[in-house]
Amino acid sequence: MPSRLSLPRALGLAALCLLALILASLLLGAGDVGLWASLQALLGHADDEARFVVLQLRWARTELALLVGLALGGAGVLLQAVTRNPLAEPGLLGVSAGASFAVVLAINLGASAASLHLGVATLGALLGCTLVLLVTQMRGVGEDPVRLVLAGAAFSGLLGALSSLLLLWDQRTADEMRFWIIGALAGRPLDTLSWSLPGLLLGLAVALPLIRPLAALALGERVASGLGHHPQLTRLGTLLAVALLVGTATAAAGPIGFIGLIVPYIARRLVGSDIRRTLGLSLLLGPCVLLFADTLSRLLVRPYELPVGVITAFVGAPILIAVIRGHRLPTL
Amino acid sequence: MSLTSLLRGAALLTAGLLLSTPLLAAARTIDGAYGSVELSGTPQRVVALGENALDAALSLGIQPLGSLASRGGSDVPHYLKAKAGTITLVGSVREPNLEAILALQPDLILASGDLPNDLYAKLSLMAPTVVPKGGTFQDWRQTYSTYALALNQSEQAEQRIAEIDTRIAALRERMPQDQQVSVVRWNPQGPFIMSSHLFVGQLLQTLGLKANELAAAQQRKPHSDIISLENLAKVDADWIFLATLNPDGRKALDDARQQPAFTRLKAVENDRVISVDGQIWSSSSGYLAAQHILDDVEKALAR
Repeated sequence: MPSRLSLPRALGLAALCLLALILASLLLGAGDVGLWASLQALLGHADDEARFVVLQLRWARTELALLVGLALGGAGVLLQAVTRNPLAEPGLLGVSAGASFAVVLAINLGASAASLHLGVATLGALLGCTLVLLVTQMRGVGEDPVRLVLAGAAFSGLLGALSSLLLLWDQRTADEMRFWIIGALAGRPLDTLSWSLPGLLLGLAVALPLIRPLAALALGERVASGLGHHPQLTRLGTLLAVALLVGTATAAAGPIGFIGLIVPYIARRLVGSDIRRTLGLSLLLGPCVLLFADTLSRLLVRPYELPVGVITAFVGAPILIAVIRGHRLPTL
Repeated sequence: MSLTSLLRGAALLTAGLLLSTPLLAAARTIDGAYGSVELSGTPQRVVALGENALDAALSLGIQPLGSLASRGGSDVPHYLKAKAGTITLVGSVREPNLEAILALQPDLILASGDLPNDLYAKLSLMAPTVVPKGGTFQDWRQTYSTYALALNQSEQAEQRIAEIDTRIAALRERMPQDQQVSVVRWNPQGPFIMSSHLFVGQLLQTLGLKANELAAAQQRKPHSDIISLENLAKVDADWIFLATLNPDGRKALDDARQQPAFTRLKAVENDRVISVDGQIWSSSSGYLAAQHILDDVEKALAR
């Protein structure tokens, strides 16, 4: 274990990182507007084309990456705390799959308004969360983190099969649905940010009063009760917060996996496993990881782009293996 | 009473035999993608796998028994629906259902140029299977003529092709000079441009319209990868045909119009974007498809 950083230092470092990545996200792209022209555009000196690319296209997806990264980073920490499992990740456990399946179902039934997706996705995520919670209550799963992931894989597989079934049923929406299988930040409608911001804020507002009870819960159910917290209430509240955050992120950008795994993993390595320390840091690191992945997604196959969900999977899978391989799986 | 009906039956039988003899004589060899196929007579139980084969058969007056649901659709392509009538669906373009094909007891299977070898091996056990050479980049006339030869309708096919050529020659006179066109598919994941070397590109070129550079560069793949919105200007042209696989092209156009990168395009600013049926414009080829495309182009561009 590397020597831990003090919290203010870690936060400062993450903030600096975030600023640098925001800048990179604005300056780098798949197009012909290069580094220098982009910098000029930021300073207001460039031609019309460069200004449009930097101030509209890249700015819009940077904002969206901030929002989605924040939501997924936060959701990851909360889900890991409530299940006391370092592998609990919305993507791995089928919470994201629940959210996107709900949207696919809604589209299939004829709902086309994008703003409707937020509510539908949150409901789907809530269903996924409830299932996760039920599975953790089963005997044996609580002690073995990998079992929960296996259950999640089964759940994701089931939802994948259901989505395929809907595709077979009604192929007219096939084009539209492909987006809900692997997420992306590019080309989202401009109003995405305005309708998803309330979802994010609400999710964070629900999570905020739960931080202390969750920290107490990490010491065990009895200790938490002894300190005057309500374990069941805490769990339910946390699941609601996770559902709101994952639902918002999925409705805004489709399912993007592994952010909720990578971010808490880095945060724990930097400041230890106490949620009072990791949550704030993760809210900064989430956008960092997503911005990094998104910038990479534009540069790898220029002049085309990859969906960012592909990149996060590439970065996340090795980390998943690293966590499982670790001699001592950190218990939370 | 019984004698007359017996006589009538015998007469019908003789007539039937007389009629079928010359058909047997029409032996022909078709040079397909997986070797040559020997055929004789006019096939009676045709299964047309794919919109190209179905288009060819229907345009030559042959009613296939079975066909496939089109890509992104749950039925045969919309533009062929009325002509195809009650046709049995034997799977989708992505996944033909071999059992359903066998159940129709075909005497000829027409498949598209990109049929995989292993599927060909199985289909050709059921009935003579014709796979035109050259895949989707082949000159559409070649593909069409191959199907026609298999259907024993070569003469009629020549007429059909001549009709298209005559129409193109007349239409070409009414086309604006030096105009560049591109065919774009707008998906929720992002836009891509169709290669200009496919059927539609071939037609547009013979009309004297120039292809967009990125479309011309797609020489191996039917379309480009998903284009970054930063590079959307690369699909710009004097005219953009916006294709969607969903029947209501309006939705794709509405989605596209919400993107500032799209509304900045020259063609959009000049109101020269035409939403077209992607089932015809990006997946089909043949006589009937050609007539539809020429209709679209005439309506939009002809003076």
